[in-house]
Amino acid sequence: MRILHGRKEPHTLAGAYAMDALEPQDRARFEHHLTRCDACSQEVSELREATARLALATSVSPPSALKEQVIAAARSTRQHAPVTIAKPRLTNRRVLLIAAPAAAGLIAVATVFGLANSDNSQQLGQAQQRDQAIAAVMTARDATMMSGRVAGGGTARIVMSHQKRALVFMATGLPALPASASYELWLVGPGGDRPAGMLPAPAHGMTGPVIASGLRQGDHLMLTVEPAAGTAHPTTRMMLDIPL
Amino acid sequence: MTVPDPATRPEHGRLALEDQLALVARGDEDAFDAVYDQVSGPVLGIVTRVIRDPAQSEEVTQEVLLEVWRSAFRFTPERGTAMAWVMTLAHRRAVDRVRSAQRATEREQRSARAEIPFDQVAEAVESNLEQERVRRCLGTLTDLQRESVTLAYYGGYTYNEVAALLGVAAGTVKTRMRDALIRLRDCLGVAM
Repeated sequence: MRILHGRKEPHTLAGAYAMDALEPQDRARFEHHLTRCDACSQEVSELREATARLALATSVSPPSALKEQVIAAARSTRQHAPVTIAKPRLTNRRVLLIAAPAAAGLIAVATVFGLANSDNSQQLGQAQQRDQAIAAVMTARDATMMSGRVAGGGTARIVMSHQKRALVFMATGLPALPASASYELWLVGPGGDRPAGMLPAPAHGMTGPVIASGLRQGDHLMLTVEPAAGTAHPTTRMMLDIPL
Repeated sequence: MTVPDPATRPEHGRLALEDQLALVARGDEDAFDAVYDQVSGPVLGIVTRVIRDPAQSEEVTQEVLLEVWRSAFRFTPERGTAMAWVMTLAHRRAVDRVRSAQRATEREQRSARAEIPFDQVAEAVESNLEQERVRRCLGTLTDLQRESVTLAYYGGYTYNEVAALLGVAAGTVKTRMRDALIRLRDCLGVAM
């Protein structure tokens, strides 16, 4: 009966739709209906003004740190529409300074400045290469951010580009490990698991950024604790699982 | 008067949120800063109401605000206010997070919490005019209408789930939801 009713009067779903209360199938069907029913679109728009007021009534004061994180993240996030305002081109080096804290979300700009400054020594060439690879992922047109909780503590954040087949990994709040152990990243796909890099010791509470490349279709990013030298296959329990 | 009234256009030389979004769509960082100031409180509010967990709510709030930055060009003023557009993004993302991450146990815990009446969930919520208005208008609904709206919008439940929770036929819940929102729309004086 419900289906029959729904077919005859799909507009009765407008309320549930405006509140995101439809199952995915119903949602898709109703959205299809909306493309052919101007009156329904108009009604949904009006009901959404009402639901927006329900949302406004819950307003809270966001923590002040959130703003810095969001603004910094926006600076390094490409917009979906072409940007029409001509801006001076940034060097890769500078892009990283902006991009890295942004992607991390929770990382203060100062931290990354510290990290970048430490590169101003002998290892500049190597560091520069790494920075450029990281900047390339973060500024890729299809770059997407994801995050996951690490079992045992901490939050992992990644910026991934399918185009570049690579991701940049950062984490905050990972539990400290003894010197004999390190965190190891894994790419786990239909074809099995591949080591994707050892995580450096945290600096200022932040681990990374590190780059993992060679992504394949169906990969998951995982994390384990391994001997400091690393292993070829995971030997302990997975602490993180982010489908890529 | 620190709480901006969403129903009126800002004065005092400030640009309306709609105009700010148009600037954001062109990559204007100052405009995004202004948009942030206007929408971050409500975004965090509704996301937290649906998701509950503070850390996850902050994450999703960041995602929503970045989505505003990335997709500002998708906003079309003919289809509603900028605030409604942002709140729609926020609510949908919160609901998607809750549903995708859900395991049965979490679901049960949330179910217990979602049944707390609207009046008693006001902890940590800034007292504002909007809240009083919404509460008054929710008060004009029938019990079934109000519970359907509260469970669906604030609880993040689908109408089928709401029907199961309330022990009412799904078709009934569906129509009550629509009736309730139409009534709220009229009571709140929503202007398009």
